[in-house]
Formats: sequence, structure tokens, C-alpha cells
Amino acid sequence: MTSATVNDILSIFFALCGIFFMFVGAVGIVRFPDAYNRLHAASKCSTLGVMGLALAAIFHVGALAVTTKALMTILFALVAAPVGSHMLAKAAHLDGLKPWDRQLSDELTQDKERQAGKSSANAPRGMAAPSQPRPARRDPGSDPTARISAVV
Amino acid sequence: MNLLGGMMMMLAEGAGAARAPQEFSPLRPLLFQILEFGAIMSILGMMLCLYRMVRGPHLADRVLSGDTISWQVVGLVILLTVRMESTIYLDAALVVAIIGFASTLAFAQYIGNPRRQANP
Repeated sequence: MTSATVNDILSIFFALCGIFFMFVGAVGIVRFPDAYNRLHAASKCSTLGVMGLALAAIFHVGALAVTTKALMTILFALVAAPVGSHMLAKAAHLDGLKPWDRQLSDELTQDKERQAGKSSANAPRGMAAPSQPRPARRDPGSDPTARISAVV
Repeated sequence: MNLLGGMMMMLAEGAGAARAPQEFSPLRPLLFQILEFGAIMSILGMMLCLYRMVRGPHLADRVLSGDTISWQVVGLVILLTVRMESTIYLDAALVVAIIGFASTLAFAQYIGNPRRQANP
């Protein structure tokens, strides 16, 4: 087994990983119910997919120019994807996009309400589904959704 | 300084730079078939993103699908790099990534602007 064979095995593995994550991200963009959930799928596409394909390029071509540029692409993807997703989600929230009706917690709304002084420390805070109020975040009570949110 | 200049020269080597001939590997045809399969899957993913761009109920959905299309184009250009074993295509990948990121930030600023009109 020569070194070219080993490089091709690694390249095939990383290319398959990258192709898988690229397509799965696109499927998630179609299938997920909400813009916030779709941002989650898009981040998979842009970080893991690009990383896999760039590693495949590194292992197959192997020149210094390709290695440096591919590493720069990976670094840029790792920096740019969270920043873009965060800004887009915050802008959509500011624009008043309603989250999915089965979402467990909406902490930005809670923080805004807390800063506006609408609720005291022990009062039930506003949720995405206002039909089920729950205790404060640092006080996990009997409500399982409160415990999940306190852990997260 | 001499080292930096040498690195710059090595980074700037283009498609015409003579590369060492690749050794024979029995997996090379399989890798090329996988690259063609990846190009097909990436184009299918772009079509799915176009569907979300047409259907998207909110403007954020459309911006998000455009961002994902730009990342799919980056992946496609990287696949082209692997197929052609050339150096110059990765510059195009980096440029597409930067332009997609900048456009996403600009659209995010536009969406989050409170003086914007009602939802289109």
C-alpha cells in the first residue's frame, strides 16, 4: 500500500463525509418547521460539509498552496457560520418572527421581559407557549420543561 | 523577509506550475466517481434550497437558503479543485465564501432594522 493509496483512502473518506453533510443540511432546510431550526441545519452544511471537502482536497492534492488555502477556508467557515447564524436569528427575532409552537423556551423574550420589569423574580416568565407558565430558570421545579431549560 | 517572499511565491503558483506526477493508486477511479456523485448531490441540495427560497414564509428563510446556496457553491468549487488537482480554484472558493458571509450580514442588518416596512 503506497502513500498515494493511503492519501486516496483518506480523501475518499473525507469527501464522503463532506458530501453527506452538504446534502443533509439542504434536506434540513426544506424539512425543518421553523427559521430558527433551519439555521441549525444550515450551520451543519457550512461548517462540517466545507470542512470535509477541504480536508479531501488537502489529502488528494497535497501541494502547499492548496493546503494553505483549504485551511484558510476551513478557518473562515468556522468563524463565519456561527456569526452569520447568530445575526440572522437575532434579526428574525427582532423582526417578530414567531417560533415553532412546540418550542420549549424562548430566552431572549424572557430576558427582554425581565429587563422591562414586567415580572418579579419568582413570577412565571413568558414562554413561547403561554398556556404553560413555568417557574424561574434557576429554580427547577416539578415541570420537566423548566428542568430542561435550566440544564441547557 | 526572504522566507516570506518564498512562501508568497509558493502560494502564488498557478495552474501552470509543474506538479510532481501522481503515483498510481488503484482507488483513483473510485475517488473520481465519488466526486461526480458529490457534484450531483450538491446540485440537488441547491435545488432544495431554491425550493425553500421560493416557499419561505419569512424573509429570514430566503436569506438563509441563499447563504446555504453560497456554501454549496464553495463545496462544488472545492470538488472541482480535487478533480482538476489544480491550485487556483480555491481562491474562487474563498471569494465566494466571503461574499456569501457579507451578504448574509447585510441582509441580517436589513431584517433587524426596526424602521423596515411590514413583512413582504
